[in-house]
Amino acid sequence: MLQADAAAARTSVDLRLEEVSKNFGSVAALRPSSLAVEAGLLVSLLGPSGCGKTTTLRLIAGFEAPDTGRVVIGGQDVGDLPPNRRRLGMVFQNYSLFPHMTVGENVAFGLKIAGTGRDEAHRRVRSILELVRLPGFEDRFAHQLSGGQQQRVALARSLVTNPSVLLLDEPLGALDKNLRESMQFELRRIQQSLGITTILVTHDQEEALTMSDRVAVMNHGSILQYGTPTEVYDHPRTRFVSEFLGTSNLFRGRAARGPDGAGIRVEVPRDGAPPVVLRVARNGAAPKPGEPALVAIRPEKMRLTRTAPPALGRELDGLTAKVIDSVFRGTYHAYQLALPGRGDPLFVYQQTIDADGQGVFPTGSDVHVTWSPDNVVALADDGDAA
Amino acid sequence: MTATVAAPAASAPARRRKAHSGALSIWWVLPAVLFLIVFYVFPIVQNGYRGFYPEFAGAGLEFNLRAYAKLLGDSFYLGVIVDTFWLSALVTLICLVLGYPVAYFLVRYSGRWSGVIIFLLIAPLLTSIIMRTYGWRVLLARRGLINNPLLDQLGLIDAPLRLVNTQGSAVVGLVHVLVPFMVLAVASVLQGIDTRLEESARILGANRWQTFLRVTLPLSLDGIGTGAIMVFMIANGSFVTLLLIGGDSFRTLPLLIYQQFNTTRDFGFAAAMGNLLLLSAVGCLYLQLRLIRRRGVKG
Repeated sequence: MLQADAAAARTSVDLRLEEVSKNFGSVAALRPSSLAVEAGLLVSLLGPSGCGKTTTLRLIAGFEAPDTGRVVIGGQDVGDLPPNRRRLGMVFQNYSLFPHMTVGENVAFGLKIAGTGRDEAHRRVRSILELVRLPGFEDRFAHQLSGGQQQRVALARSLVTNPSVLLLDEPLGALDKNLRESMQFELRRIQQSLGITTILVTHDQEEALTMSDRVAVMNHGSILQYGTPTEVYDHPRTRFVSEFLGTSNLFRGRAARGPDGAGIRVEVPRDGAPPVVLRVARNGAAPKPGEPALVAIRPEKMRLTRTAPPALGRELDGLTAKVIDSVFRGTYHAYQLALPGRGDPLFVYQQTIDADGQGVFPTGSDVHVTWSPDNVVALADDGDAA
Repeated sequence: MTATVAAPAASAPARRRKAHSGALSIWWVLPAVLFLIVFYVFPIVQNGYRGFYPEFAGAGLEFNLRAYAKLLGDSFYLGVIVDTFWLSALVTLICLVLGYPVAYFLVRYSGRWSGVIIFLLIAPLLTSIIMRTYGWRVLLARRGLINNPLLDQLGLIDAPLRLVNTQGSAVVGLVHVLVPFMVLAVASVLQGIDTRLEESARILGANRWQTFLRVTLPLSLDGIGTGAIMVFMIANGSFVTLLLIGGDSFRTLPLLIYQQFNTTRDFGFAAAMGNLLLLSAVGCLYLQLRLIRRRGVKG
């Protein structure tokens, strides 16, 4: 009932950054960047520390003023509005609950400021605490709560005023792993039930992929790629994006046309071995024939077999390699493979009990590594390992 | 909040260290203990004693409450007591009003200049209080730095203003001496307030003033309490400043004690007044302990 209430009270709004930039002294915290967030989506700003994600959030919140560009929330340029008039909700990593107030007073803070009546405020505090599953916690103090509970209170406090956009600054960073995972689902459930446009700042790629409708991958003050989690994971556009979102096997070579004149292939020279040839089916940023090229394949998109599969050379490309290490990771094994004439090992993740019963490959055994050209991604080399 | 969390963690290793170093270690504190006994405990005990065994002409040494009866029974002396506490309270209030904004600026906006500001705050404390007070005499003199421009350059007044040896000059002098204590006490507490608490309040709709009133100010009450008690206590006992630039504008207990020793030579009465001041100081310290413990429990 509450959720229906709240959803009715709020119409989700969209959020746009238009060529927004911010320098601190001579440091460019955010280079001119644009981002259009559709109403009701949860968008992650993902990147390593110092990438500009927190600056971006603070620009949206109004704690920093952009040097250039506009922040537009629900069609309104909020450049001239102080933080208190932007109708936002925000949750900080350390929760920032007011230590001199009870949970109830904390949650009611925004309502009190807005001049909401006592009874109305009580009712809304009670129902929002129910939404975050902390009913009856009104009279406790923050220091009497666990980290996860404080997190929920902070969330309740930021949502009770029906903000138009919710800003989350590493909200789960201080929680331990198990709690973090359950809170991810919890946060997502609440966000979706309210349909509130949400910006989540995180450096945790798993968190971004699990929780978000869209991910904006950032580095060095720039938004490198913006898309759905699957898009940015499966089709990273740059080396940084590819390596920041999980592991990638990189191949550096030269692009050429296929033998029949169609398609692009990348030839990777090897010392004392024939070159590895990778067909590039997906070619968003396809390298031009004759130019140097960088391509990547995810470890879980490669398959290990004892014998060459019949599709090799047709639907599949492949090579042979030697297992030098394998790590059992529960549902799958992580293999490290040595490839003749290549310095870096190849990483392959394969289900422990494979569908066609390949089993586990012992260290030292020779294996066939195969992959579909569909999973070969051409990358722009931003020269930046994660 | 941080302090309460850190305290148990810090005390555990401290306890262990004590256990390790053995019984010999108590001898190391002996010089300090002796020093304290000779120069602090003994005078205090003696003073306390003297207040109850005042010597009167013709009377032997016996327990009596005459000194206290005189102090608390005579309307003149009651006036002095009221004056003393009133002056201290006024000075404390002015120090708070002047010092809080300085502390706030120091913590929130000074950035890399904070070191310089703290130095400027502390530097006067390293100068003799007598020199500083004479400085005020120069400024406030009949033909001093304030009267001269008003008379000669601006021509706003016909005759020099009487600035020194007034209640005003006494208050100004005391505030000048004591305001750094307030600033440092408040600043140290403000330093510990996470700016994200203020930002949380802002994003929840509070403007700067509301944020200050509902978040920053309540969270800095500890610092205000500590600073106020410190300033009040020192002001209660201060007499050099009053002697040099206060004239007889305020008659306070310390001035009267000074008088008893130098003019009247009624040591018993002086001791009684001293004990009253000591009692007020103890009361202040008790208040401070109470205040901090209560806050500590609350988090």
